Amino acid sequence: MRPKAALVPVAVLVIVFPLGYTLVRSVLPRGAEAAQPFLDKPQTESARCVLGADTNDVRFHHMDYLKQIRDQAVREGKRGKVGLNTCRECHTSRERFCNQCHNAVNLQLDCFRCHYYP
Amino acid sequence: MSDVCRITPDSDFLRGVLAEGGEDLKKCFQCATCSVVCDLARDTAPFPRKEMIWAQWGLKDRLVADPDVWLCHQCNDCSTRCPRGARPGDVMAAIRRETVLHYAVPRFLGRWANQPKYVPLLLGIPALLLGLVLLMGAAIPGNYPASLGHGTKIVFSYWNRLPQWVLMGFFGLFTLLALAAGIAGVVRFWRAMKAADARAGNTAVAKGLGPSIVAALRRILTHDDFGVCTAERRRWVSHFCVFYGFAALFAVSVWVMTARYNPLIPDDFVYPFSFWSPWRMLANLGGVLLTAGCLLMIWDRLREREHPVAGRFSDWALLATLLAVVLSGFLSEMLHYLRMEPHREIVYFIHLVLVFALLIYLPYSKLAHLAYRAAAMVYAEHTGRTRRTPPMHESDGHS
Repeated sequence: MRPKAALVPVAVLVIVFPLGYTLVRSVLPRGAEAAQPFLDKPQTESARCVLGADTNDVRFHHMDYLKQIRDQAVREGKRGKVGLNTCRECHTSRERFCNQCHNAVNLQLDCFRCHYYP
Repeated sequence: MSDVCRITPDSDFLRGVLAEGGEDLKKCFQCATCSVVCDLARDTAPFPRKEMIWAQWGLKDRLVADPDVWLCHQCNDCSTRCPRGARPGDVMAAIRRETVLHYAVPRFLGRWANQPKYVPLLLGIPALLLGLVLLMGAAIPGNYPASLGHGTKIVFSYWNRLPQWVLMGFFGLFTLLALAAGIAGVVRFWRAMKAADARAGNTAVAKGLGPSIVAALRRILTHDDFGVCTAERRRWVSHFCVFYGFAALFAVSVWVMTARYNPLIPDDFVYPFSFWSPWRMLANLGGVLLTAGCLLMIWDRLREREHPVAGRFSDWALLATLLAVVLSGFLSEMLHYLRMEPHREIVYFIHLVLVFALLIYLPYSKLAHLAYRAAAMVYAEHTGRTRRTPPMHESDGHS
């Protein structure tokens, strides 16, 4: 075996590693956390989110809507009823709702430095 | 005298070979040094001497049905030792380009993908198509739905205007078309090789198709054939980097595209990956490898002053496209982290156009070698055209 030929199994292993990692993780027992749904269900009777009727739309565009609301409030002085506080009324736990996705992508937000959201 | 063989040269073919790197072809006086020094050639009916005379005579029919043309890895051991400077290695590359053109389906795409004057058109088509997809989304109130039939899995798109399902449909359709064209070309190539061997009376089968595929795959993965090259050892390194970098990026792409339907992913949140996710790390590593390999290849081409390669369009086109794909990918990743809003989307659009060009023109560009060379290597294993052992440079140490 030429010395450089040793690189081949290394390259193949590196490429297969993420697949193996995912496989192993999907097989391993996942503890108490797995029993819970990924996102907490809203703690309310109302079926409609204050940001919009379409869950999918809110899921993918909530950041745009929140920024829009922020801009209206601080730049135009128009304070509506909807804001992070109204989010809190249904989605009571930041840890079990907002942070689930934000942590998954290492997203660092500065919203909650000022806004109280337990 | 037995039979009289009337030769009908294909002058278009000959012109193509002479124009694209084979300009020294006619210097060859058939001394066969090239065939002797080639470590990839087998002992019976070696190459590239016979290909040199076929090319001089314009015998296109023989060359496009010749697996040996593709067994050559252009290490240029032959070119550096050629007493006449006929550069057989470069001639073989020019013949391979003509072969790709010959089997191209549809033929006009083969012609377009190999001429510099068509570059604006070749990039304009994907830009236009992708632009149309964007416009169609803009025509729908509130744009495309972010997600369709997604089940419980959450997949964010890089750009809201191009949700994952739109990209999957768009790229999926055109990839299937390119795949069909590629398969059509390779099947015709395979049939031509078989027919040529049947005419010559070589119907011997050394290995079944299954074992032949395994053996060829092993040679490809280990870069075994590059390993016997002595003139340009660095090509092993650069091709290794490009090959595995490309493989890594391909693996991650397939994973991301199918993530929504993948039962192996336990989490509901699928994409984007965090920076330290093994998939993103693999993609970044693959990108670095691909960049390094491309830069090495470019460096090697620029270094070669005696035989300028400026004229070889298909070679440079593939290198430039690969490098542009990976650099635009890295740039859009960087702009994404910097949260530069219109910029990251513009670069992403350019990146998608380049990826599209790489995929759709695969059966016609130099990248077609991954199908044709693989087919030729399987065929070689199948018919027992394995290279001489041990390699010449290890047994007699010529330098």
